[in-house]
Amino acid sequence: MSSERKRIVLVDDDDDFAAAVTAFLELHGFEVHRAADGRSGVTLAKMVRPDLVLMDVIMGERTEGFFAVQNLRRTPGLEQVPVFVISSVYSAEPQFKVTPERGWLAHDEFFQKPVDLPALLKSITARLGGGEGALATNPGTIK
Amino acid sequence: MKTLKLPKSKLDFFAAVIQQFGEVHAPVARGDEFAFERLERWSDARLDYNRTILPPKKYFLPPREEMFTYTADGYVPSTEGLDQKLVLFGVHACDVYGLNILDEVFLDGPHPDPYYKARRRNVAVIGIDCIPDENCFCRSMRADFVDKGFDLFFYDMGDAFFTLVGTALGDDMVLSAASLFEPVAPQDVAAYKAHSQAKAEMFKLDVEIRDLPEIFEMEYTSAIWEELGEKCLACGACSMVCPTCYCYDVQDTVKLGECAGSRERCWDTCLFSSHARVAGGENFREEQSDRIKFRFYHKQRGFVAEYGRPSCIGCGRCIVSCPVDIHVVEVLNRLRGVAHVA
Repeated sequence: MSSERKRIVLVDDDDDFAAAVTAFLELHGFEVHRAADGRSGVTLAKMVRPDLVLMDVIMGERTEGFFAVQNLRRTPGLEQVPVFVISSVYSAEPQFKVTPERGWLAHDEFFQKPVDLPALLKSITARLGGGEGALATNPGTIK
Repeated sequence: MKTLKLPKSKLDFFAAVIQQFGEVHAPVARGDEFAFERLERWSDARLDYNRTILPPKKYFLPPREEMFTYTADGYVPSTEGLDQKLVLFGVHACDVYGLNILDEVFLDGPHPDPYYKARRRNVAVIGIDCIPDENCFCRSMRADFVDKGFDLFFYDMGDAFFTLVGTALGDDMVLSAASLFEPVAPQDVAAYKAHSQAKAEMFKLDVEIRDLPEIFEMEYTSAIWEELGEKCLACGACSMVCPTCYCYDVQDTVKLGECAGSRERCWDTCLFSSHARVAGGENFREEQSDRIKFRFYHKQRGFVAEYGRPSCIGCGRCIVSCPVDIHVVEVLNRLRGVAHVA
């Protein structure tokens, strides 16, 4: 396993949720960087060059995450970075019935809040590789 | 033509979903003015704009572009950016009309322009109705309504958008977010008709174009051209902001000693003294009065002879951009002998 931890950018305006997910992922060996809105999330991703992005949808605006995802995909060097959307958009905005499979999140993954953390972790490790090592690693021993 | 209704409360969702068809660009505020730019968030979109500084022309005929590079062995077309998928969201009818005019020049002629053609194929156009301001006269130029040149067109019906589907791509966009749309009811059609009638009465500028080419023929030696020539600064602002001014200059950049180089084209205007200068230093339009006269004649007379309609769309951009207040409607009405702007 590489000694370099996989980098994840987490974009979410919910401080409590972000803190919990950050702690969980760091515990499993990931390096987590957090932004609280879509625009700064894209900026952060440009600097961090993450291996994966976790994106909320409803932040300052209810479609903010949709635009941030597309901006990431059209940023040179970040076009291929996996984006996992974690959102309550379907429960908070029941009028929005367009499923991710209809194209707005093609090739990436969607997780409904409240998120099933083991399922999220399984998808992250499956996507980034080296998941088993990360799962078994005590974050305190990672360089 | 297929018609649907999109509740305004769902417009942001629709704009979010159709990003799968291309990078969404829309009018955003730039100081007191507006410009088509890539959207970073929905709230940046200003669909209540009056006009953008530059028309959508900039997406199809960029101000400057490399056409090809060459060596002694041949040339390689420059294709960077030609396949980029874009969605222009919120294009006014007059600007769609302007694109249709550019189509006639760059697509429908005997030698289609491959660069323009590629961009037109890859850029989706979603139109939106507008409220005319004091500088709009698109209705006079028959450009206040379009029946082609767009993929979707939205008409503001208060709490919803009456939606015209113009192309198969537009239909695909609607289908990708079908749950957001509703069927059109008879009262929606009635509301559309009422809105159309009400808009027709909002225009403050008017010019009769029916026999304008003939009047131009009669007024070829009018003193008004000398007067305009004295006033015009030849800055070219009116041409740069014009949705249908398509003249460009072609320049080669040669790599000395390498038998290689590149060819670029950039926007040009007949108002520049260099525009009609030819080898040997001769200039077909030496005087500024000749040049501004040429611009008016090309728009209002020559284009009519060639394509059956003026190439002016009545967007008002040249009016607001002219630093010396040359007002196209006032010029046309003076030529016609109408004392006041109606």
